Amino acid sequence: MELSESVQRGLQALADASAFDQSSFQALIDASHRSLLSSHGDPAVLDQPELKQIDQILLKQIHTAATTFILEAVKQNADKSTISSSLEELTFSAERIEIFCSIYQKYKKEVEHLLASIGRRPAQINDVSWRLQYHMKNGQVDKVNEPFYSISLNSEKEGCSEDINFTCTMEQLQDLVGKLKDAAKSVEKASQM
Amino acid sequence: MLLVLSEEHKEHLAFLPKVDTTVVGEFGRIALEFLRKGTSPKIYEGAARKLCVSVEIIQHGVEGLMFLMLESSKHMLTEVDFLDSVLVLGFDEELNQILLQLYLKHHSQIRSILSHLPSNLPAYHNLEWRLDVQLASRSFRQQVIPMLTMRLILTRGCVSHSDYSSRVLQTDPSTLLYLISTLEAALAAIKTSHARRILRNIK
Repeated sequence: MELSESVQRGLQALADASAFDQSSFQALIDASHRSLLSSHGDPAVLDQPELKQIDQILLKQIHTAATTFILEAVKQNADKSTISSSLEELTFSAERIEIFCSIYQKYKKEVEHLLASIGRRPAQINDVSWRLQYHMKNGQVDKVNEPFYSISLNSEKEGCSEDINFTCTMEQLQDLVGKLKDAAKSVEKASQM
Repeated sequence: MLLVLSEEHKEHLAFLPKVDTTVVGEFGRIALEFLRKGTSPKIYEGAARKLCVSVEIIQHGVEGLMFLMLESSKHMLTEVDFLDSVLVLGFDEELNQILLQLYLKHHSQIRSILSHLPSNLPAYHNLEWRLDVQLASRSFRQQVIPMLTMRLILTRGCVSHSDYSSRVLQTDPSTLLYLISTLEAALAAIKTSHARRILRNIK
């Protein structure tokens, strides 16, 4: 993994057993993972008894370095041996590498999910509601007498939800459901490949 | 049911017996053309010149015919009711038959034009779909995320000059299955005895 000089320096400081004992090391690695996942970067994430005695400026530098390392590892989908060799180069002891890897594994899925969700995408459909109505007459036509559906698709884009409303006849709804079923079949086929 | 024609409407239609039946036929054709595409003053002027009458008389005649066809189609008059309704106009049998044929030939099309007038709600037109798998992004290099990307095409207003709008939407496989099962429940609702009873009894 390619790391910038400041990240390397931060991680080397973290590897230093005289500055960080085991419990504060563990607390910092755990806090770094959690800070990535808390929605708006919880400012209290470093407010922990194990980290109280550490110089606050150093702590922040190390925190930045650790989160960068974690993000880079998840982004590249680095395996354990890649992570181990990178940390070894940064003078981490075998024991600390083991601790890092076990905490990393614990949060990896969640961080992956977070990273995969970053970026532009079309509106996502979350839900659908429907109503069956019977159109009897209106201002222009008498004796219409046709059933029809009002469909409302609830979609979400960049955190804003929007309802897409439309009407359809029974035949049109059958057409829509038929197409969605075709799609579901191809998803199933593709998943068996 | 019978149509009740206003005095003004009768007056406008009174022009019809004064011209040849082929002209009435032509008026009928123009009236239906106008119902489909909107009126055109040029055609009124042309007809007025040919028949040597004022544009106003032509306009009243054609629009009176349009209104007669609209009202009869709106109420879905039977053949007998239609003939009884135009009886008050005092036209001869031949002209009445021409009007009846015009009505019978076009009433279903007129109803379909009318039925699109009030539906300002967008209506389903088509759905296109594509199965995508997200493989990598700037922030995450190795991923396998199946996604169904869809384009929902909706229409608004009259079919003949429709404006289509389309929306691009995405959903994941599990939501897709949920959508299918929810919409299948909607389709099943129309087959329940409750819905059938209503559909059968309101005629």
